[in-house]
This record gives sequence, C-alpha cells and structure tokens, in this order.
Amino acid sequence: MANKADVWQGTLALMVLKTLQTMGPLHGYGIARRIEQTSGDQLSVNYGTLYPALLKLEQEGYIASEWGVSDNNRKAKYYRLTRAGQKQVAKEAREWEQATAIIARFLAPEEERS
Amino acid sequence: MRRLRALFLRLGGFVQKQDWERDMAAELETNLQLHIADKVRAGMSPGDARRAAVLEFGSIASAKENYRDRKSLPLLETLAQDLRYAARTLRKNPGFTMVAILTLGLGIGANTAMFSVAQAVLWRPLPYAHPDRLVEISETNPLKRWTHTVVAPANFADWQKMNTVFIGIGAYDPTEVFLTGEGEPQRLKGIALTANLFEVLGVAPLLGRTFRNEETFEGKSRVAILSYNLWQTGFAGDPHIVGRSVSLTGKTYDVVGVMPSAFFFPGHDKQIYIPFGFKPSIFVEHRRPHYLNVIARLRDGVSLAQASRQMTGVASRLEQMYPDTNTKMGVRLDGFHDTLTQEKRPALAMLLSAVCVLFLIVCSNVANLQLGCAAARVREFSIRQALGAGRARLVRQLLTESLALSLAGGALGLALAVFARAALLRWIPAAIPRYAELRIDTWVVFFGAAITVLAPLLFGIVPALASSRADSLRDRGDTGSRRGRSLRNVLVGCEVALSVVLVVGAGLLIRSLIGLENVDPGFNPDHAVSFSLALPEIRYAKSERTVRTIEEIESRIRTEAGVQVVGTGMVLPLHGTAWTDDASVEGHAPGDYERELRHNVVTPDFFRATGTRLIRGRSLNGFDTEKSPPVTLVNESLAKNYFRGADPIGKRIKFGLMQDKDPWVTVVGMVADMKQDGMAARVEPEVYVPLTQADAEGGLGVSVVVRGSCNPDALIAAARREIHAIDKDLALTDVTTLRDLVHNSVGDQRFRTTLLAGFAGCALFLAALGVYGVLAYSVAQRTREIGVRMALGASAAQLFRMVLRDGMRPVFAGSIVGMAGAYAVTGLIQSLLFGVAPVDPPTYLLTFAILAAVALAACVVPAAKAIRVDPLVSLREQ
Repeated sequence: MANKADVWQGTLALMVLKTLQTMGPLHGYGIARRIEQTSGDQLSVNYGTLYPALLKLEQEGYIASEWGVSDNNRKAKYYRLTRAGQKQVAKEAREWEQATAIIARFLAPEEERS
Repeated sequence: MRRLRALFLRLGGFVQKQDWERDMAAELETNLQLHIADKVRAGMSPGDARRAAVLEFGSIASAKENYRDRKSLPLLETLAQDLRYAARTLRKNPGFTMVAILTLGLGIGANTAMFSVAQAVLWRPLPYAHPDRLVEISETNPLKRWTHTVVAPANFADWQKMNTVFIGIGAYDPTEVFLTGEGEPQRLKGIALTANLFEVLGVAPLLGRTFRNEETFEGKSRVAILSYNLWQTGFAGDPHIVGRSVSLTGKTYDVVGVMPSAFFFPGHDKQIYIPFGFKPSIFVEHRRPHYLNVIARLRDGVSLAQASRQMTGVASRLEQMYPDTNTKMGVRLDGFHDTLTQEKRPALAMLLSAVCVLFLIVCSNVANLQLGCAAARVREFSIRQALGAGRARLVRQLLTESLALSLAGGALGLALAVFARAALLRWIPAAIPRYAELRIDTWVVFFGAAITVLAPLLFGIVPALASSRADSLRDRGDTGSRRGRSLRNVLVGCEVALSVVLVVGAGLLIRSLIGLENVDPGFNPDHAVSFSLALPEIRYAKSERTVRTIEEIESRIRTEAGVQVVGTGMVLPLHGTAWTDDASVEGHAPGDYERELRHNVVTPDFFRATGTRLIRGRSLNGFDTEKSPPVTLVNESLAKNYFRGADPIGKRIKFGLMQDKDPWVTVVGMVADMKQDGMAARVEPEVYVPLTQADAEGGLGVSVVVRGSCNPDALIAAARREIHAIDKDLALTDVTTLRDLVHNSVGDQRFRTTLLAGFAGCALFLAALGVYGVLAYSVAQRTREIGVRMALGASAAQLFRMVLRDGMRPVFAGSIVGMAGAYAVTGLIQSLLFGVAPVDPPTYLLTFAILAAVALAACVVPAAKAIRVDPLVSLREQ
C-alpha cells in the first residue's frame, strides 16, 4: 500500500468526470474504487481529497448529486455528470492530451527531436 | 462564471452550516460502511475489515476538515472566529480598548469631516448640466495689471457673434436689491443676467419658466425668478407664486419661475434672478466700464485650449477695431469649477494634509498602546504557537483585533463627523463658497469606511509582526520587552515629530492671524457702528431728494445723546469697491491706461466717522455743492501711483479718457489708505467724491457710520429711532460694529487657523499620551531594577532624573526630526501666511518649549511613581 502513488493534484477532477461518464451515476466510494481499478491499482484515492474535489465539481456545476439507495440497502449520495460536465470532460481531455504531448516531446531522446 | 457560482455556493455554505454538516457526516458514514462490506465480502472478519477500511479511508476528521474548507469560506470562518475572540479580548481590557477607540474615533472623525468639507467645496460637481463643459471668460490687460477681470458689455456681445467654439455665452452681474412689501424689507442678492444664461448652465426651473431672449432688454425686463431658498423663506413656498408680482428696490417685477433647490450661483445668500434690462445700445457701445461675469458652454469636441486660441484671435480683432478701449485687452478662459474653487484650494489642501498627519499620529498612538498590551500577552502568544498556530495565523488574529478596534473607532468617527458637520455649518465663514452644501453623502461615508478598514494595516501591522515573533514558553519576555520598548520609543518619536510639524504650522498661522488683525486698517474700528440703507427709487428718484434725506438723517442722528459724528459713504472700508473706471491725469499723455481707479461717494463727515486720518489738504465740507467747482479727496495710494509721491493737492483728474467731455476735478485733500479688499490686500487708488457732486442715480444704497461714546446697541437704537421718524419704511440692514467688520474680514483665515490649531492640540495631547504610556509601562516593568538601584544607594533625585531622561529621549529626538520636517514643508503654506516667514525662529522655539513642557508633564507621573518604589517589596515580588 505504501508504494501506491497518491493522485496528482489537478488530475483528480478529470478522473472523476471521466469515471462518471463511463460508469453513470456512482456514489463516492464507488468512484474511488473505480479510479483505483482503472489505474491498475497504482493509485490510491484518499477521501480527504476526493470529497473536497467532488464538492468543488458540484459547486461549479459539472456534476450533480442526489440521495439514493446503495446495493447493500444503505442511503448513499449518488453523483452524476451534468451537461456542462460532459463538455468539460471533452475539453479537459483535449487539454490533457496536449499537455502530455508537449511534455513527451521534452522527454524524448535528443536525436528524435527535429 | 463557474468560479462566481462556486463562490456564491460557498457563501451559502457559510451561512447554513447546520444542514450540510449533517449531510456530510451521513455520506462519509455510508462510504465507510460500503468499504467494510466490501472487505467482509473479500473474506475478512468484520472487526479486521473495519480496521482496514478506516486505515485505507484515511482520517475521517481530516476528510471532514478538507470538506468543510471547500464547502464554506475558511477565511471568512476564521475571520468571524477571530472577531469573536478579539471582542472578548478587548472587553477584558477596557482601559486600553476605550482609549484606542476614542483615539481612532477622533482620527477617523476628523478625517471624515475634513473630507466632507473638501468634497462640498472642491470636489462635488456643480449643479449644472455637464458642468465640466462650462468655462468662465474674463478679460486681461497687462497695461492695467488685469489678470482676471470682468467684461465690458460690448466686448461680450461681440464674443457672442464672433466665436464658433461655444454653444452659448451668458453674462451676469450680482447686485443688491431690496425686497419690499413682504413684511420687513429685506436685502437680497440680485443676480442681473442675460436671458440665455439659464440655458447655458443647462438648468430647468422648478416652477414656471426661465427668461425669454427679448427680456434681457429694457422694456420687457420686469420679470424675476426666485431661488428656492428665497421662495421658501420669503414667500413660505407659496405654490401660486408664479404670476405674482414683487417689489424690488421700488420697481415691480412679475415672478415667472422658481429655480430648483440644488441650483446656485457663486455665493449662497438668498438670491433673486432678474434680466439686465439694458438698452440694446449698451451691447454695442459700452466697451468700458467692465462689469459682466461671463460663462460659456463649450461645443462638443472643442477643448479649452482650442477655445482659448479662437477667443484670443477674436480679442485681437476687437483690439484693431477699437484701439481706444481695447488696446492690449486679452481674454482668458478657465474651467468654471476651477475659478470657483481655486482660491480655497491651498487652505483646504493644507487642512487635509494636517488631518492626515493627525491620522498618522493616531495610528502610531494606537500601535503604541497595542505594543504595550502585547507585551503583557507574550505568554498567550507563546502558548498558541506551542499549540501549532503559525506566525501568519497569529498575525492574522492580531490584525483582526485591530480591525475590531478600528470598526468601533470608525462608528464613533462617523458620529463625530455628523456632529462636526452641524458645528461647521454654523461656523464656516460665508466667504467659503458652497459651504452650505456640506453633507455626509455616500462618498463621505465611503471615505470613512475606507480609512476605517485601512487603518488596522497602518497601526496594526507593526505590533502584530512584533508580538507574533517566536518567543518560546521559557522566554519570559525580558529580551522581547526590551526590543518592544525601543520600538515603542521609535513610535513615540514619530508622534512627537509629526506633532511638531502640526504645531509649527499652527503657530505660523496664528502669528499670521494676529498680524492680520493688527494691521492698521486705515480707520479706527473702535466706538463706531455702521448699517446700510436702501433709498427706494420711487420716493427718492431725484438726486437732490436723496442728498437732502441723507443730510437730514445725519443731522438728526447727530442730535442723539452719546453720538459724536455721523458720516455716509457708498462703500464701507473692507467692502471692495462701488465701481472702477478709467481716469486721466492733467498733464499726462492721453490713453495712459494705467489710470484705473476706484470710486466712492461720501458725505463730508465720512472720514471723521470712520476715524480716517486726513493727511494733507482739506476734507470735504458743506461748501462743496453741486454748483461749486468739482472736487475730490484721494487716498495715499493714489497720490503715490499717480503723482509719484508729489503733493497731489491742486492737481486735476478727469474721470474718463482724456478726450471725454467729463469735467476736470480738483484734488483738495489726501486721506490715509483704508483697507478695501481685506486686511492683507494692497490698497488700490481710490477717489472720494462728495455726495452732492456725484451723479447719484435713484435707488442709491448707502452705508451710514455712527461714532459715539455709548455702547453699540444704544448707537444703533438711536439711529433706528431717528430714521424711522423720517421714513418708517426705510430698513437698516447689515448692522455691525466697525470692529466686527475687521473681525469678519479675516473669518476665512480664522477658520483655517482654528482648525489647524485644533488638530495641533489633538496631536500634542496624543503625543503626550504616547510619552506617558511608554514611560509608565517601562517604569512598571523595571520596578525590580529600580528597587535594586535603591537598595544599592541611588537617591530619589537620581532615579527621578533617570526616568525623566528615559522619557524625554524620544521627545528630543522626535522634536529635532519634526523641526527638520517642518522646515521642509512650511514653505508649502507660504501663500497662507501673512507677515511671517515660513521659517520663523520664534515659532520654532515656542513649539519646542510647548512640546517639552507637555512631554515633561507627561513624564512626571511615572517618574514620581518610580521613586515611590519600595525596594523590599519590589525585590520580594519576583
């Protein structure tokens, strides 16, 4: 467990949005689990960072929440993507790809650059 | 946008805390349970599963903390928390809190009040449409030393025709009119004007209409518009006033309108507006004398400079066309607002700076008090730091305490400003234009609020930084307090230095005021009263009738007991001039333009009544009649300027140009220079023509001076009795003693001097408070040391001296810095000084003496306390 990396600052929001896009409405625990699974268990999601991130996304209107019932019959808060959230996923994904592409060029071996 | 939305939601979160706290707890709990359930499904025992889940989950407390931070605004939360804490701390220390709040209230109140004065007099836009497009046009003439003078009617009319830069040009001329037939006759400011002036100013009437163009001229001009003030006070706000007729100085006018209450002309008396009523020929022929005030509105897109260029061209064309009258006659354009305010600007700028300095003193004083308090709280801060409060957190908390103080001080200050407004309105001399508009408006409140919020940064930052410095628990504050003490001494030094600047400034102004009041006014202000009379035109149409009435009034008052001498003149000393005109001196080249002189019309006893010395020749007398050869008296300035010091008696002057047909007038006497425009102003050449020989047209306003040995009220009562015996409708107005005349003529200077002296007094008091505070504290802290010294044999006198030395050291240092500062800045108020140089050794010495005395007094109490220390008790104490 100690060798799992914490989620990098700034990327958690995109992960949450993308997770909700693929999975549909989920509660906080489900989101955390799913992110860990998707990362091939290389990431661990701390609730101390997840909840403020969810709250921020909600305050910004990218996700919405409502109370529902979980598989084990408990009252749970479910988060789902809003329309603004859909657009935001696309936008952030594009930006992320751009950013990684740029960084990749820097990290590429000297001779490959032209 | 999204951020804004989030901010609002967080603000909401701050307000409804209860609801979401519950939700958050429920949500976290659910997730924990889900987590445990997963672990159990994976085969763990419920107990292990729970432990593992909690471990993986991370600290619930910290999750909640993070959640809270995001849900609400943490800054706001801590601010509210700190404010509550600050209020508690301050309540526990009522002495400090009271003094700090009072001091801050004084500083903020004084600043807000001063700001409201400057706002009313200097900054608030004039009550006209687009006031920034209005310009005043005046005439200039280097030959007559005119830099800024009123305009001749024909020049004005030509400007109207020859310019393309103005939408309109209007003119006005303030005169005095007497309203009769509405109870007691009253004197009003009558503004005679061209009909288009209201249009130029862009102001619509409240009731009725403004003037029509043809009403400017004779024949149609018996119409009047009332100011709001006059309508309310003189006519009880009569809603049917339009269409009524009123009697002004014996002529009947139809009221056609009332102006709105915000409207005003320079000066703030009860005003009535009437058209000039000129013959059309006046606007064609009269290129002298000059008496119109001219206001124009710039066309859109035309700048002041462009307009100036064109008008200069117009003036030079007029110069070519009318060389007799317009040689070297130029024009000058100024923003209307500037011309109204420029005279008051230096004094107000000085007062504003002074009140800022006072504010700085207030701030250093409060900082000083806080440092004293903080020293007592070293332990509290150390504990807080030990418990994990960062320095920034401590600084923030201390600044919040400062804010709490400042908010209370600000509330007090605003109350003070409201009170000051009422006091100022009663007290500000009428010479300050627009003073009646003094209001606590939005801007004033905003200003007060702004300095209230900014003040904690000024006075709070130093104590906050100083006392939040890491002092560990075992440090008992000994070294910290020494550092604190030297910081406090620096602050006291600053206070002293700033006070010195204010006291020196006040000293200079006081010396100027005393100097002004002791200037020889050229007349004797003691034992004399004066009042104005308006002789209504209808009954006094013929000038012989006027002359005979005035002579009768004089002789009847003279018979009253206690009256020594009675004289009459058109213009009293210190009241400017009736009119000025060209004059020619026999034997000089024609067209010698330097000969512009002032006219006054007097009865023979005018000079004895005012107490003006006859220097040469003879005074006027009963033999100077309309049939005898024309004579005049002149003042010393005239003799000096016109005859270059030669004896003027027997010389002849013509009141007009050389080629005019006016008769030559012989100078028969020379009197001392009476002050005309104020005690500080240079006396201009003036002639005194006998009433019998003046072509006094009907409706003459004159002032009577009565000199006598009995008290002023008795003199006035006697005069009133006799005048009413002659004509009971004659009103005595402007009743005053000549002493008050002098007194009021320096009202403006007295106003600024009193204010600055008040500020300086506050500054001194605060500085003394600072000196006292630091010294008393240091004596209390050094009780043990003093006890040891005593035990070792120091005498009371030695200890007393030691404490005094400690207390006075920052005072001396501050004084020296302050003197240097005063030396640097008093040059800026040179224009406000009279008869005293900005660097005036007596003032500086006196300042130093006063300051040293006050500081010494502040030091004596702590020093006395020090020598009463009982060495045994003090040593046992610690």
